[in-house]
Amino acid sequence: MNEIRATIIFDDVVTEVSAHSDAGELWIESCNLSRATHFDLKPQGLCRGELCYPLPPKNQVEFLREEAGGTWFNLTAFARHTGQAVAHDATHSTWYFGVRPDQSRQLSSLVAPDFTLPDIDGKLHSLSDFRGKKVFLVTWASW
Amino acid sequence: MPGWQAINDELKSKNLEVITVAEDTRGAQDAGPWMTAATLPMDAPVRSPAPAERIRLTHTAVIDQEHLVSKLYNMVNVPTAVWIDEQGRIVRPNETAYVDDRLKYIHGLESVQYLAALRDWAEKGERSAHVFSEERLRKRLAAQNPHWAPAAAEFGLGQHLYRSGFLEDAIPHFKAAQRLNPDSWNYKRQAWLLSDSKRDYGTTFREEVAKLNGKRYYPARDLPGERTPATETRRHGENPG
Repeated sequence: MNEIRATIIFDDVVTEVSAHSDAGELWIESCNLSRATHFDLKPQGLCRGELCYPLPPKNQVEFLREEAGGTWFNLTAFARHTGQAVAHDATHSTWYFGVRPDQSRQLSSLVAPDFTLPDIDGKLHSLSDFRGKKVFLVTWASW
Repeated sequence: MPGWQAINDELKSKNLEVITVAEDTRGAQDAGPWMTAATLPMDAPVRSPAPAERIRLTHTAVIDQEHLVSKLYNMVNVPTAVWIDEQGRIVRPNETAYVDDRLKYIHGLESVQYLAALRDWAEKGERSAHVFSEERLRKRLAAQNPHWAPAAAEFGLGQHLYRSGFLEDAIPHFKAAQRLNPDSWNYKRQAWLLSDSKRDYGTTFREEVAKLNGKRYYPARDLPGERTPATETRRHGENPG
């Protein structure tokens, strides 16, 4: 198991953490988990606020192990478990975590997925700010 | 941009807001000049408009460097529009939307029926005939492709590497995204813009459009009075939203 400096992109936020990696699997210390993903390891599973993904009790060893005085968590195995897409670049020790399963569930239940994006002055706007209004959402690009 | 802004100003009183989203990896560097341009030199290279040619933005115009909206809504091209009701639910999914006919000579879509439908929805809300039934919306979503999420992840990783200064290392990930979701023009055109597309991808936008050979660049819409060219045999590139 190699000790590496890994770059994690989760929710399009870039975080550098020290990690263990083996055959593309990414293990990070549970204390770094919330910094990189805003999910916390709880007895009931991996949680962010009300949202919890339980870990299957049978094969916890696939996700968790105690090493060097800390608890390590396999983030790639967890992504596989929840159906979150991951792209990996070995040269740059970088892992990109795709759309979260709770976000794809929104779309399949016909709820417009929420987002927060800046305007040209850097002011942030969220789709949810427009609740109570009809929204015509249209993309464009310079290319 | 001035066109959608005018629609926003017109339909604001009907409790409708327009949000325009620029899908540009380099953000304001590429999208900025177009956002406030009073007229768009569509076939000319991007340039910064002179102050006299600028408009003041009065609608919500956001910049989406990560292509987050396309990722969340499974959009494969621009422009793509979605209608969202007062409760935050999708009532009309992904489709091509033009506010005027300046590019009609390329795509063949007329704006008049589309804008009529949009105004009808603004006026009548859920009673509008242009609002999709839940069954129709679900049918569209049933066509979800398991390769789209991995494609979006490869594209996201490519963008990150590009922004970190590693264009060469980004290219294989952009290519993986293009291979996994071949219907996405976003993945192709954005990646080509960041490169010499002939050198790095062996193609150009013009060459790829020529390869369509009569197939439509944009999928057909579902609007009364809009003609569908006879050459179209399937809804090329349609992603549900």
